[in-house]
Amino acid sequence: MEKQLANNSLPDEEIRKLVIARLKVLSSDTSISIGSDGSFSRDELIDKIETDDPVGRKFEQIELEWLRSWKANAYGGV
Amino acid sequence: MIITRPEYDPSTRYLSAWSKSLIDTAEKKGLEVIDLHKEKAAKNEFEGRVKKKNPSLVVLNGHGTQACVTGHNNEVLVEAGKNSYLLAEKVTYAVSCSSAAVLGEEVAITANTAYIGYRDDFVFPFSQQYVSKPLSDKRAGRCLEVSNQVVLSLLKGNSCSESVGRSKQLAQKHISSLLTSNAGPEAAFDARILWWNLQQQVCLGDGSKTI
Repeated sequence: MEKQLANNSLPDEEIRKLVIARLKVLSSDTSISIGSDGSFSRDELIDKIETDDPVGRKFEQIELEWLRSWKANAYGGV
Repeated sequence: MIITRPEYDPSTRYLSAWSKSLIDTAEKKGLEVIDLHKEKAAKNEFEGRVKKKNPSLVVLNGHGTQACVTGHNNEVLVEAGKNSYLLAEKVTYAVSCSSAAVLGEEVAITANTAYIGYRDDFVFPFSQQYVSKPLSDKRAGRCLEVSNQVVLSLLKGNSCSESVGRSKQLAQKHISSLLTSNAGPEAAFDARILWWNLQQQVCLGDGSKTI
């Protein structure tokens, strides 16, 4: 999983900061249900990412794959 | 049609509430619906009803792993290598994380069988203020409407592949709408979640099968 999440150009810590920054701008009322892991408030999710918890890593994966899809569309998959 | 609707945490409460309309639609179309709600979403009940009624459509709401889908209080209802044969020659839609990866692949080996589900986690956003009234939560509603579209399309007589296609089309419509809206950072967040589910949703086995 760790390798799957590794980005070609950004170190893990930078990815983490980026994902947390995007979460912090959400309303504090925001929660998310993540499969069998359960549901988490915005602040709980931020905590999971900061502590490198599996749930936090899953959310980093969602963010990274979203960004990669945009990159693929923008550069024709290159 | 058999539908499981465990209710014991926020995730299952949302899935259960948003699935109620599917029961109403199926009954209006004249289908017999066996609703395994709350404590009835138990292994003995599920196995007994599937064997006795042999439904053409099984809708599983709940938590899960790659190998199983669970019911009320996380009791395993159906599991690869154990009782997955129950889903043979049926259409199954599992609104449950990751079960398509192993359970779905095993079920779909049987001819004349289809398994629609998610290869990785099924995710949805929700607002804390609506936990006690999930149907008022528009943010969760977008993801759950997209999921419901699979069943609504099957009930209209469309094939499994067509039904997944319609669900994905609705997801893309919501994503486009969210990304071009001025709804703030929540809209972009919700679009990413819809996109994730769209990537994970698959139809395994006989995609031409109807119910």
